[in-house]
Amino acid sequence: MKKIICLLLALVMVLGLAACGGGSKGTTVTMIAAQYGPKTADWWAEFEKKFEADNKGIDLVVDCVSWNDIYTVVNTRIANGQAPDLLNIDVFADYQADGLLLPAEKWCSAETYAKFYPAFLDQSVVDGVVWAVPDLASARAMYYNKDILEQAGVAVPTTWDELTAACKTLKEKCPDVYPWGIDMTTDEGQAAFAYYTWGNGGGFVDDAGNWALNSAKNVEAVEYAVGLIKDGLTNSDPTNDTRYNLQDLFCAGKLAMMIAPNALSSQAGEAGINYGFAAIPNNSGTSVSAGVMDRIMCFDNKQSDKQMEAITKVVDAFYDDKPYSDWVLMEGFLPATTAGGEACAAADPAMGAWIDIVGSAKFYPTAKAEWADVKQGVIDVEQQALQGGNVQDLLDALQAQVAG
Amino acid sequence: MADNIRVNWGKLLSRILLYFVVVLICLFILYPYFVMVCTALKSRDEIFAMKGTIFPIKVMWSNFADIWVKAPMAKYMLNSIIIAAGSTAIAMVCGIPAAYALARMKFKGQTAFLGFIIVSQMFAPVVLLIGIYKVMQIMSLTNSLLGLIFINAAFNQAFTIWLLRGTFMSISAEMEQAATIDGCNRVQAMFKVLLPVAAPGIVTTLIFIFINAWNEYTVALCLISTETIKPLTVGINIFNGYNMIEWQYLFASSIFAIVPVVILFMSIEKNLTSGLTAGGVKG
Amino acid sequence: MKKAKPYTLLNKAEPYLWILPSVILMAVFIIVPIGYVFRMAFSTVTKAGLVRGFCGFDNFAKAVGNAKFGMVLKNTIIWTILVVVLSTVLGFILALILNNEFKGRKIARAIVVFPWATTLVIQASVWKFIINTDYGALNTLLKSLGIIQQNVNWTPTPEAFFAWEIACGIFVTIPFVCFTALSGLQSIDHSYYEAAIVDGANYWEKLFNITLPLVKPSLTVATVLNIIYVFNSFPIVWTITKGDPASRTDTLVTYLYKLAFYNGKQGEAAAVSVIGFLILLVCASFYMVSTLKKGDE
Repeated sequence: MKKIICLLLALVMVLGLAACGGGSKGTTVTMIAAQYGPKTADWWAEFEKKFEADNKGIDLVVDCVSWNDIYTVVNTRIANGQAPDLLNIDVFADYQADGLLLPAEKWCSAETYAKFYPAFLDQSVVDGVVWAVPDLASARAMYYNKDILEQAGVAVPTTWDELTAACKTLKEKCPDVYPWGIDMTTDEGQAAFAYYTWGNGGGFVDDAGNWALNSAKNVEAVEYAVGLIKDGLTNSDPTNDTRYNLQDLFCAGKLAMMIAPNALSSQAGEAGINYGFAAIPNNSGTSVSAGVMDRIMCFDNKQSDKQMEAITKVVDAFYDDKPYSDWVLMEGFLPATTAGGEACAAADPAMGAWIDIVGSAKFYPTAKAEWADVKQGVIDVEQQALQGGNVQDLLDALQAQVAG
Repeated sequence: MADNIRVNWGKLLSRILLYFVVVLICLFILYPYFVMVCTALKSRDEIFAMKGTIFPIKVMWSNFADIWVKAPMAKYMLNSIIIAAGSTAIAMVCGIPAAYALARMKFKGQTAFLGFIIVSQMFAPVVLLIGIYKVMQIMSLTNSLLGLIFINAAFNQAFTIWLLRGTFMSISAEMEQAATIDGCNRVQAMFKVLLPVAAPGIVTTLIFIFINAWNEYTVALCLISTETIKPLTVGINIFNGYNMIEWQYLFASSIFAIVPVVILFMSIEKNLTSGLTAGGVKG
Repeated sequence: MKKAKPYTLLNKAEPYLWILPSVILMAVFIIVPIGYVFRMAFSTVTKAGLVRGFCGFDNFAKAVGNAKFGMVLKNTIIWTILVVVLSTVLGFILALILNNEFKGRKIARAIVVFPWATTLVIQASVWKFIINTDYGALNTLLKSLGIIQQNVNWTPTPEAFFAWEIACGIFVTIPFVCFTALSGLQSIDHSYYEAAIVDGANYWEKLFNITLPLVKPSLTVATVLNIIYVFNSFPIVWTITKGDPASRTDTLVTYLYKLAFYNGKQGEAAAVSVIGFLILLVCASFYMVSTLKKGDE
């Protein structure tokens, strides 16, 4: 026993010393990147290697973190003054509000900057300044299983009334299949809120851009979605079935229709599902697609000019047309640059339709400082409504809390 | 004669009952692992097709090989072993003297120290993350195995000290005193007399710390960012992506993660059972 | 049990030297971080996590003022009591069984280690996978055994989900209790039992008069630590439900985790953790007062 302990201790010390040593000279650029899928980490490792080979003297350190943990990791680092130089994540407003970010023009070369769709850049504007650049986007549409719809003799629904009727027929004709998928989980319940309120002419904000969470249209929309669940027309547990669970169900042929991003195409195709996609059913006459966009931002770590130069080089290398379109296509997302869009559309004709969809999509108001509260707030409203709460009261309370 | 036979029947019955209960419990405990193995052996397509079969339709042994290619599993495993072994060693080196002092000496602040140990456990690691990171930063131990070793050792001090204190107290001090009279000093007496007798308790404590450190996730996640020094628990998250969870790989790698712990346990289980047969004066 | 030794000045300093390494280790790596928690609990913390000045009890008022706080606290207490009590009872019974001599005991003991040798995140994922309505292994098993025809929704209500989480908590805690009890059982001298058999004691008399009192010290310590760990347990609830729906299955730790990292209210989250700490402190002081008095006899 004693010997073992001594041995272990010695081992530990040696390894500890090894771990401490080996600091490198030159300029270091640190980055935290979100892990979108199984290939993301490898892609970054490859990128790191290639970048360092092309740019001697720059040490790029990319830390790839899963979405489950990225907020924990990033906040812990920021709270300790150890923010990375570059961060790839979905939100930016909180960091901007604390004055932690550098404006995009400081670290993004004019050449790269010109590549982005202007509508995307608009999503990252606070006080007239662009604080982050989009790394990719995704848009949502309604996916349906052609075979199941045909078997039940149901046409693709375009309005809420048609959707309800279709679900009822499906439930009757195909009892083994869930007609409609809804996700009201902590993961992405805000998306459900967006689909239904936007489809009803409502939404998170009014035309002037102020919070308008308890509008009559929003109440109607949430009540409609909750009604579908209570009537047994959806998956059994919408507060626990995440969109990924729903996508799995869809690909197993156990879910007839759901709202999902374009990434579902390849997954459903591989699973041999005869799928189609169409506009999200609405109640207002205009269909709205929901867009989601992630960003790259640069933290103000009092970098030297030399470091800033290195950061710009990293960003330029990332948005270089070839690696960038690889990056986007790799996990089935949509590009945020015009060149990337053209490349993707050329590589896959089906992508063309999606690039049009994302062009007309609405985005979450992520630039507003209260977004985190609103996001968690609407999810909570949905979940409470499912437990029997009154939607109007709940939204009134949320509006009062957010708009003060 | 007849009486003897009846007693044997009763014994036999209780034996059968014992085996029956043990088998039942083992089956119950193994059920989740059975599910894990079956899932780990299915192809991704089969898992997602939700065919509703227990066993894989097509057995994919390759899943168990693939994970070693898709992720640096060997590195992860080595890191986990280093972290767990290192934490155990440090926790023991610091914990044994403290437990000894608490069990064998009287001093002011004894109660306060015991209280302090318990209080140190009262915050969840999740809550302490920010502070831990700060400490690590000051000591330049972020993103190093050594940092994790210290953290795990510290988090397991309460266990170590309380369990060992209990063990030491249950062993009479007479033999150590005899040894002291024979010319041993306190440290020698502890090593030569007390520790061998306390082996079962020490082994139990060792297992506890090792397993806790082996399973630690939250702190490792926040402190370690370099792929090559990640422990298993954090590393296998690579199969838990944004778009989909690769259940077959996640479970296959988790099964590998159990193996070292079980081997360790089997190899020192003997100590756990041998008990105090060697003798020693009981209090 | 103990025999007092004559004290000299040098002897007086000695015990402190023995405990010093341990004190340093804990002070640096635990007590300092705890200090940061307290600092945040009494400070305004921005959404990105920067500490901006003292704010008194604001964070506490906000945290306690939240309508959900009471429910979450109730959940935490139910969770802690059920998991600790049931796993202690079951773990002790299991230890008694495994303390018998029988063929394959070594294997049985190794199997019992399994739930403990598995990271909680994975453990909880497996259980989530098992109880799923649509593709869960439990439904598959029962269907192929012919016990059920249609998939059963094992988690129709938040309460049902919570019950499964508690079951999972018990499942992973049993090995810990079992081996603590087992190591206690192993160190009981057989002569006690031999004497009792001579006296004609039956199984239950031996259990209650010899086994329990002798195992009690190690089991109480394990239980106290267990209460703390279970109270602060995070991965099971987080993996299975994330506290959904509407915090019906939240415990204090998952609740404050969401406050800190999803809502960006780290000050409030720190306040919640300080409240949890105070609750544990009160519970533990009962134990400390009662046991340590006995220990000093």
